[in-house]
Amino acid sequence: MTNSISCVDQADCILVTGSNTTEQHPLIGSRLINAVAKGAKLIVVDNRKIRLAHHAHLHIRCRNGTDVAFFNSMMQVIIKEGLEDREFISARTENYEELKKVVASYPPERAAQIAGISPQEIIEAARLFARAQRGMIVYSMGITQHTHGVDNVKTLANLAMLTGHLGRPGTGVNPLRGQNNVQGACDMGALPDVYSGYQKVTDAFARGKFEKAWGVEGLPGKVGLTTTVAIDAMAEGKLKGLYILGENIMMSHPDQNHVRRALQSLEFLVVQEIFPTLTSEFADVVLPATSYAEKDGTFTSTERRVQRVRQAIEPVGQSRADWQILCEIARRAGYGGMSYSSPRQVMEEITSLTPSYGGISYERIEKVGLQWPCPAPGHPGTPVLHEDRFSRGLGFFSPVEYQPPAELPDTEYPFLLSTGRCYFHFHGASMTKRSRLLQREVPLPYIEISPEDAKELGLMDREWVWVTTRRGEVKAQARVTDVVRKGVLFMPFHFEEGSANALTHNALDPECKIPEYKVCAARIRRAR
Amino acid sequence: MQDTRIQGLRGKDKESPMRTLTSVELEAFFRSLEPDYDLRVPIALRDGTRTLGRMGEGALALEGGPLLLKPTSVFFPQYEMQLGYEGGVVRMQAPLPKPLCVVGLSAQDADCLSFIDEFFRSNYEDDLYFNKRNGAVIVVVSGRCGQDGEFLKIANGKCDIELICHGTGFFMVPYTPTGRRLCSETDLGREAADSLDLLKEESSALSTEEEEILQRASRLLLEDKVPESFWTEISKRCIACTACNLFCPTCTCFEVYDRRLQMKIERQRLWDSCQLDGFTREASGHNPMGSETLRTRRRIHHKLGADVVRWGRISCFLCGRCDRVCPTGIGIKAVSREMVQRYDGR
Repeated sequence: MTNSISCVDQADCILVTGSNTTEQHPLIGSRLINAVAKGAKLIVVDNRKIRLAHHAHLHIRCRNGTDVAFFNSMMQVIIKEGLEDREFISARTENYEELKKVVASYPPERAAQIAGISPQEIIEAARLFARAQRGMIVYSMGITQHTHGVDNVKTLANLAMLTGHLGRPGTGVNPLRGQNNVQGACDMGALPDVYSGYQKVTDAFARGKFEKAWGVEGLPGKVGLTTTVAIDAMAEGKLKGLYILGENIMMSHPDQNHVRRALQSLEFLVVQEIFPTLTSEFADVVLPATSYAEKDGTFTSTERRVQRVRQAIEPVGQSRADWQILCEIARRAGYGGMSYSSPRQVMEEITSLTPSYGGISYERIEKVGLQWPCPAPGHPGTPVLHEDRFSRGLGFFSPVEYQPPAELPDTEYPFLLSTGRCYFHFHGASMTKRSRLLQREVPLPYIEISPEDAKELGLMDREWVWVTTRRGEVKAQARVTDVVRKGVLFMPFHFEEGSANALTHNALDPECKIPEYKVCAARIRRAR
Repeated sequence: MQDTRIQGLRGKDKESPMRTLTSVELEAFFRSLEPDYDLRVPIALRDGTRTLGRMGEGALALEGGPLLLKPTSVFFPQYEMQLGYEGGVVRMQAPLPKPLCVVGLSAQDADCLSFIDEFFRSNYEDDLYFNKRNGAVIVVVSGRCGQDGEFLKIANGKCDIELICHGTGFFMVPYTPTGRRLCSETDLGREAADSLDLLKEESSALSTEEEEILQRASRLLLEDKVPESFWTEISKRCIACTACNLFCPTCTCFEVYDRRLQMKIERQRLWDSCQLDGFTREASGHNPMGSETLRTRRRIHHKLGADVVRWGRISCFLCGRCDRVCPTGIGIKAVSREMVQRYDGR
């Protein structure tokens, strides 16, 4: 997030898109509900009638994957009606003329046709957001999990800069991270191209710094593979060994049959997990790790806040904390430089090598965490990014054209299938399916279908159906609900016995390689 | 424990006049009970919050108001084994080695405890509950030790001992034979020279507005004056986190299930929530409480309507926990206030 979670309380207009906030980030979702009760305006741009939509002043149900057209059109209206923030644009940004040129070809009539909505909805959203004193954009995986996910994010950044809703409390471009510590994992360089704090592996200076600190030579300067690309490399036999920490890729990656073939092609697989999973069935070695309750350390939240997690119980059985397992493997592989005595000592190394974490220490985050960048011991942390300048100086408008998703419905597969999570399970459900009440609440794979479509197919609520795509076929219970629009199906991916990711495809965003979980073509038939 | 209300708390028991103890002396007093009791006391955690724990798990923290975790969970924990089966042998829950002594209930918590005592005793006696509850010593904390100087209502009974804070220490007031015995056995602190009158006056002067609102809301429900549209509106704010149920000391619903491990099976019971769809969904797939409107209505109606008919009283004692934890502000106090504002006095 460019801003802080508490900024929700300060915004007077909040635009939420591609985020089922009350179900996936319930506390932030609650803040949004409370903000509306106190008078903030809420715009929800989401195909599904999510709980938050009941509180929205405008709920705009764009066709899945048409976000660029919709937001470009909002910007077209804003510029046409003179609602842009000219002062911000001239003082803080560049490439505005290019933006103007691109969005000019998205008048509401055209975008409305692409998005399956009315032109008036675009105009109203544009006016409401641009006229706000403090407008905040909140988004999540509904924006990013597309073959044009990067384009979607750029478009939202363009909208924030155009309206001057950046660099102040109650504004900003605010992605809600999909897992409790995915921010921390990225910050620590769990990406193929960076060390901690996003220091590039291609940067010889950064490499030199880490070589010196770790007492080694010749750290690779070559960018590695993203997980989605690595799976392709495994299937092609180019990648032969894999070490997975806490991820059930059989459940969470697109095109399960492809993932299965990839795992079978490996010569050696290590899985570090807290429970047996579909993925660990392929493992040559399983390393039992500790759960959140058994370990000490820090998690970094979606608002860049580094905060302590404390051990509540002793590790069960032979399990060990992830850091201990990693250090032991390094030691047995012949490297003696990872002999830390505690997570605190690991944090000391992190802060010494990571400028944005430089001022963080266990003493300072004993009670309340700190938000990076926090470069020095006396620094208070940074609740709002880009207050005076952007990282690169001026904010660069990056206008993009609308691209349709990779696979759209046709006569053979007439439905648009979107996937995601439900409230009561988390991700591959390896934890939540073991929780009695959560499992009781949603025990079976299900798929949402609109009442109109159900009627046409003669389907009743909770009737079993086969769902088929070009990748596979799974059985699920139909949930007949107006949460989804006619022509759209939504299926959560938590269930081994009806895995939505047996249906999805590995079509990737060309830049960041995120798969298009949110759109593919499907058909559905009664299972009798 | 019996609810033996002592009239006029002052110097009633001649052999053991009322004593006043500082926090430090109280810690020594609790330590002196440890050989005979399994103690649970309010302790401070490292992040600055307080919870119920054992002596030594954190600094004793009597001041700061009601604990967020309901103290009744000591007797009715979130989950517990009912029976286990392993190697051909059935195991039952073992009796406690020592009776419990629970310190830190508020006056309202003591009311809640009395209510669930009655609930678990009626019709059939719940052996799991009374396995822990029988012989337990209950210590209420009240007086001038709430959060930010708030005065905590004096219980005046419904516990074995009440610790009433007078600002620099606590009056130790026993109400039951066990309480009097424990208090008479200590020579910690000093005999209290002052009387309780002033503190009791202060307690009586506390606002009763919330109780009145609750009663008016209860009447509205019993007279069927709250339309369904109200519950639909409130339910839209509910995010189904179930915290209201999990923190409520008078919520007693539980789920029973068999936890299968490699070589054994344990029949467990765990707190359930009427805010979940699975709570009342039938095997057919039909749910008579299948909408959020109905479930939200049920949550409030049970405490303010159904329990009045069944037990003769409202089963919310205004402990304030659901209002503290509800992320969208629809705890029972807030909803009752809203109900009264809209539908009372028409």
